[in-house]
Amino acid sequence: MSNGTAASIRSHARADRLLPALGVGVIWLFLLLFLVYPLMRILYDAFSDDAGRLTLTNFVEFARDPYYLRSLVNSLLLGLGTVAATSVLGFAVAFLLVRYDFVGRNLFSYLTLIPIISPPLVGVLGFTFIMGRAGTVNVLLEDWFGLAKPVNFVYGLHGVLLVEALHLFPMITLNVVDALAKIDPALEEAAESVGARGWKKLVTITLPLTTPGYVAGALLVFIWTFSDFATPLVLGVHDLIASQAYLNIVQFVDRRLFRMGIVISALMVALAVVFLVAARRYVAIKDYSSLSYSKIARRRLSPLRQAAAIAFLSAVMLLSFIPYLGVGLASVGKGWSLTPFPLRYTLGYFERVIVETPKYIVNTFLYSALAVVLCVAIGVPIAWILARTRLPGRDTLDGLNTLILAIPGTAIGIAYIRAFHFDLPLVGRGLTSLWIILPLVLAIRRLPYTVRGSYASLLLVHRSMEEAAASVGASGFHSFSDVTLPLIWRGVLVGSLFSFMTSLQEASAVLFLSLGGWETITVGIFSFYIAGSANEAAALGVILIVVAAVSVTVINRIAGTRMGGMFG
Amino acid sequence: MKRFAILGLAVLLAAGASGPALGQAPIESELALITPVSKFIHDAALKAFADYAKEKWNVSVKVSAIPAGTPVAYGRIVEWKGKPEVDIFWGGESALFEKLAEQKLLQKVEISREVWEAIPAAIGKPRPIPLKDKDGFWVGTALEPYGLVYHPKKIQRLGIPEPREWDDLLNPKLKGEVAQCAPTRSSSSNATYEVILSMYGEDKGWEWLRKLAANTGHFTARSRDVPTVVAKGEYSAGFAVPSYMAFEEKLAGFELKFVAPKNAFVTPEPMAILAGARNPKAARAFIEFLLSERGQKVFMERGLFPITPKYKVQGPPGSPAELAVEFTGGVRSYFEREVSNVYDEDVAQKRSDALKQKFRTDIESTWRKP
Repeated sequence: MSNGTAASIRSHARADRLLPALGVGVIWLFLLLFLVYPLMRILYDAFSDDAGRLTLTNFVEFARDPYYLRSLVNSLLLGLGTVAATSVLGFAVAFLLVRYDFVGRNLFSYLTLIPIISPPLVGVLGFTFIMGRAGTVNVLLEDWFGLAKPVNFVYGLHGVLLVEALHLFPMITLNVVDALAKIDPALEEAAESVGARGWKKLVTITLPLTTPGYVAGALLVFIWTFSDFATPLVLGVHDLIASQAYLNIVQFVDRRLFRMGIVISALMVALAVVFLVAARRYVAIKDYSSLSYSKIARRRLSPLRQAAAIAFLSAVMLLSFIPYLGVGLASVGKGWSLTPFPLRYTLGYFERVIVETPKYIVNTFLYSALAVVLCVAIGVPIAWILARTRLPGRDTLDGLNTLILAIPGTAIGIAYIRAFHFDLPLVGRGLTSLWIILPLVLAIRRLPYTVRGSYASLLLVHRSMEEAAASVGASGFHSFSDVTLPLIWRGVLVGSLFSFMTSLQEASAVLFLSLGGWETITVGIFSFYIAGSANEAAALGVILIVVAAVSVTVINRIAGTRMGGMFG
Repeated sequence: MKRFAILGLAVLLAAGASGPALGQAPIESELALITPVSKFIHDAALKAFADYAKEKWNVSVKVSAIPAGTPVAYGRIVEWKGKPEVDIFWGGESALFEKLAEQKLLQKVEISREVWEAIPAAIGKPRPIPLKDKDGFWVGTALEPYGLVYHPKKIQRLGIPEPREWDDLLNPKLKGEVAQCAPTRSSSSNATYEVILSMYGEDKGWEWLRKLAANTGHFTARSRDVPTVVAKGEYSAGFAVPSYMAFEEKLAGFELKFVAPKNAFVTPEPMAILAGARNPKAARAFIEFLLSERGQKVFMERGLFPITPKYKVQGPPGSPAELAVEFTGGVRSYFEREVSNVYDEDVAQKRSDALKQKFRTDIESTWRKP
C-alpha cells in the first residue's frame, strides 16, 4: 500500500516536470507550424521562380515597374499622412479625456472606442452613402445650392486618408491615455517646481513620457493603413501597394501577376518587421514610464472652455459616426438613390441575412469561439513563460507575439494558401479544404491580445503569492493553476474577449481562405458587396457593429479605461 | 457499459454507411460550384435545383457556391490540380473552359442527347459565338448581352440624350461620369474591349478606349460594382455590364436603364464539370435541370435569355419575366433576331495577354481621376 503511494507520488512528480515541458513544446510547435512556416513559405515564393530556383528577378521586376514604384510611394505617403492626422486628433482627444473634467467626459471616453470597432469595408461603405458623389451631403448641396457637379469628398487618396484617420485615431488615443495614466505625477510636479509650465512642460516632460505608448499606436496605424485594401478599392484607388497585392493575387490567370502579388505580400511582411524592430529599439530607449497607474487629478474647465472641449469632441465623434449613419440607413433603405435619405424602408435585408441564411452568424461565432479557446490554451501559458520564467527562447517568443500584430492579414491569408495546400496523411485532403483552418488562422492572428491581457495582469500579481504556494509544496504547474490563474482571470478575460471581438471582425486573412459554406459575417459583407447587394452587406455590418459594441462595453466594464495596453 | 456503447456506435456507423447503398441513391447529397455569375442568379438556380431534387428523388442536396471573378475561379481550379473543392465551374469566357479541358481539368458533360441537341451549336454573324463545346467539355446555360447602363435622372441633369450606342459614352459632357471595370479583372469588360478593338481595328480601337478612360471617373474593383455605382447615382453611366446584373438593380428598386448597343457580346454562360469532382451525378443532374423548362425559367425571370429556341421569355403582365423583357428593350429570345457579333474567339485568345498588357501600360498607369 505504502509502496503504491510512493510510486504514485513519484509518478506525479514526473508528470509535474513532464507536463510543463510538454506544454512548452506544444506551444512552440503551434507557433512554428502556423506562423513561422507559412511566412517562410511566402518569403521563399517571393525569392524563387516557377521552377523553384532562388532568384531576385521578382524584386528586380518590381523595382523596374514605374506603376509599382508609384504605388509604393503612395502607400508610404498615405501611411505617414494617416499617422500625422491620427496623432493630432488622437493626442488632443486623449489629453482632454485624461487631464480635464467636463460635462459628458465619461460618455465621450466610451464613444471614443466606437470608431475602432467598425468592421473593414463597412466603414468605407457607410462613408460613401453619406459623403459620396450621390451621398446625402452632395444631394443636399445640389438641392439647396443648385450645385451642378457633386463635390468629390471621398473618391481618391484624400478620401482614403479621411476614412482611415477617422477610423484609426482611437488607436492613438487609447495608447496615449494608457501612457498618460502611467506618468508619475511627481515628474510633472518636479518640472513645475523648476518653472516649466504649460507648453514647455508638455513638450519637455509630458510628451516624451507618452512616447512608448504613442509609438506603439502610431506603428499600428501605419501598418493598418499600409496593408488595407478594402478601403482604397471601394474608393477607386488602385495605385497603392495593398490594392496591388490584392488585385494581383486575385489575378490567378496571369502567373506573372500572381507572383507579383506574392512579392508585394512578402514586401509587406518585411516592412512590418523592419518598422517593428525600429520602433522597439526606439521605445526601449525611451521607456521611462512606471508600471503602475497613478491617480490623476483632473482639472475642472471653465464653462467657456468646457463648451469648446465638448464642441471639438462632438465634431470629431460626429465625423467618425458618419459610417454608422450611412450603413444604418443602407441596411433598411430600399432603392436609395439621389435623395438625402431613403424614401422606402424595408427589413427584408435583415431577414435575408438572419433568417434565410443564418450561416454567416453561426459560422462567425463558432470559429471565433474556437479561436478564443485556442488563444487561451496557447496564449496564457505564453504570457506566463514571458512573465515568470527564464526559459531559452523567451525573447523570440515575445518577438513572434508582437510580430503577429504587425503582419497584415492579407499576407497571412496568402501564406496559408501557399503553405497548407497539400494532402494531410490519414485525412487525404489538404488543410485548406477543412474548415478548421479558419479558427486556426483566427487564433494565430488574435493570439497577441490574449497574451497581452494575461501578461499585464501577471505583472500585477506579486511573485510572493506563488512563492508561498511553492513553499507548501505546490509545483510550478499547480501553483499556476491554483494560485495564479484565479488572480489573473480578469486580465485573461479581457484579453480573450478582445481576441474574440477582433476575430469576429477579421476579414483579410479569412477572405483568402474561406470556401463555400464557411462564410463568416465579414466574408458575407464582402461577397454581398461584390455581388452588388450593398444593402445586405450593410445589414450584416450593422449586426457586426452591434455585437462589437456589446463586447466593447463588457470589456470596458471589466478593464476600466486601460484598454490601451492591448494595442501596443 | 463502455463496451456496449462502442458496440452500439459501431452498429450505428455500419447502418449509416450501408443506408444510401441500399436505396441506390440517384445523385449525391452535395453540390458545390465556383462561379463569377452573381449571387442573384446562382443562389436562385441552386435553390430551385435543391427543391427539384427533393421532389424527384427525395434527396436533400446541400448546395453551396464560391463566388469568384472569372480570373480567380480559373486560377483556383488550376491550383486545385485535379482535386477540386467544388464540382462545377460556371460562367466566364468559353475560351477559358477550353484551356481547362486542355489541362485535363474538366470531364465531359455527358447529359442526355436530347437536351444536348436542343442547344444550337452557335449564334451570331459575321462571327459565330459557340453555345456548346464540340468536344463535349462545356455547355452553355443561358444567353445574356454585355451592354451599357445609365441613370436617367443623372443623364437628364447633364442635359444629354440617353445613350444608345457605344460612341455615346464618349460625349464630353460625360467627363468623369463613366464607371467601368478593368479588363484585367472582369470577363465582361475584357470581352467588350475586344468588341471595340474588332469594330474599330487595333489603332483606332485603343484610341477609342483611351477616350473612354478620359471620361471614366471610377475604375471599380469588380465588374459587379459598375451597375451598383450607377444605380446609386454615384456615376451617370457604366460600360460592359451583363444584362442580369443591371436587372437585379432594377428589381432592387433603382431607376437604372440598360441598353445592348450594336455588337454587344452575347455570352452563353458556359458550365462544366471539373475532373475529380466529388459529386459528378449531382453535377450532371444540375446541368440537365438548368436546361429544362423549369431551370430556364429561373433565368428568364432574372434578365437572362433561354439558351435554346424552345423557350421564350414571357409571363403574365407585370411578372418579372415581362419586366425583364421591357428592361432589355423588348427581347424575348436571341434566336428570333439577328445577332450581330464581331468578337472572334481565336483572335481574342491570341491577343488576350497583349490586351491586358496594353491596358496596364496605356490606360491604368496613366489614368488620373478627372
